[in-house]
Amino acid sequence: MIRGKKPCAAEASDLVRDIIRNLQKDFRVEFRSRFALNVSVAFAVITTVALSLAAGGVPFTPRVQSMLLWLIIFFSAMNGLSHIFVREEDQGTSLFLRISVSADSIFASKLIYNLVFMVLVLSVITPLFMFFMQVTVRDVAYFTGSVAGGGLSIAAATTIMAAMVAKAGGKGSLFTILSFPVLLPVLWLSILATASSFEPSGHTDYGTLVFLLAFSGFITAISFLLFRYVWQD
Amino acid sequence: MDTNHYTIVARDISKSFGRTRLLRNINVALKTGESLAVTGPNGSGKSTLLMILAGLQKPNRGSVTHASSSEVWRDEWPIHIGYTGPLVTPYEELTAVENIMFAGIGTAAGSRMDALLERFMLADHRDKKTKHYSSGMKQRLKIILSVINDPPILILDEPGTNLDADGKRILRSYLDSVRPGKIIIIATNDPGEEALCGGGIRLG
Repeated sequence: MIRGKKPCAAEASDLVRDIIRNLQKDFRVEFRSRFALNVSVAFAVITTVALSLAAGGVPFTPRVQSMLLWLIIFFSAMNGLSHIFVREEDQGTSLFLRISVSADSIFASKLIYNLVFMVLVLSVITPLFMFFMQVTVRDVAYFTGSVAGGGLSIAAATTIMAAMVAKAGGKGSLFTILSFPVLLPVLWLSILATASSFEPSGHTDYGTLVFLLAFSGFITAISFLLFRYVWQD
Repeated sequence: MDTNHYTIVARDISKSFGRTRLLRNINVALKTGESLAVTGPNGSGKSTLLMILAGLQKPNRGSVTHASSSEVWRDEWPIHIGYTGPLVTPYEELTAVENIMFAGIGTAAGSRMDALLERFMLADHRDKKTKHYSSGMKQRLKIILSVINDPPILILDEPGTNLDADGKRILRSYLDSVRPGKIIIIATNDPGEEALCGGGIRLG
């Protein structure tokens, strides 16, 4: 006898249980290899130091500083954000994952993982960049909001892209190319918002931060609805 | 052991990949206590048929129905099916115990784990990362992963692959012991495993 859909409370409880199981597994696997985090942090450090040396102490304008910061964030993150799904395909574990936990919980746990990864990457890149590039932040709250909002949007949008690229048998380079047009509005607004927080008379438009949050929410909702079709077909 | 009765019915299953027609009008009907061996040469579609029966692939035509004498929520069907095959790979960075805890649901899985590790002779290697396992040990672990939730439907694709004589003996004795309470479907070309099953389909 097959009953229809489970009651919401029971379904939510199963979802949370599966998300926790999958997160524990992902963090354990990543902690033991530390591949993605090491590559991203190494990229960030090398690029920031190289830029600082190339500049030779000459100060950049706030707009250029903001552009450079987001370029480093974008490419550092791209090295690691796809890893969470590509690794499952490369190591042949995706079928084991698929038969062990539900598609919804896989998406939710991978999204949480990518958000944590993004927070770690941002917390390394941002102070490093400010130190080496001698950046002065005029509006700390707005700067923090723009970096957090941009980072959140990048992590949210790239999680579903990573699943698609992994299922298509693609590697990191394909992921960066496919993600770029999707992330273009996010990068554009993040650069403008971060530049405003650097400028002495910068106009801080909190609507930009609201857009970044709305973008994250919208793309997460759409991704959550579509993920099972990407994952199972 | 689950005392409910389960059935799996596949009607007119056909599957093609491009122009290659792999399966044509396959019919299967099994209930708890029954078992089926799917045999055939390499590339005849054994693995594809098992994945379809497990609900992991969709047929081009036909349908697969799983049913139970008790009420089962639609979303819960996957945990009532234990599947393993050549494409199922445990996480190499995790130990056997960590892989089993990931696949197992609830406290019952935890209590079954020790007995299964003992039975499949992996108890001494339980805390070793599976990347250090031999292919035979990995196969034993894969079988444990498929049965850790004590599923009433067991679908095993070439379960004897890479197993030594001891491993095959343990697998046969395990399958023999659980057969009365389960539906067992095995894809195999091993006459010993084939003999464990009540019926068979030959593909190709």
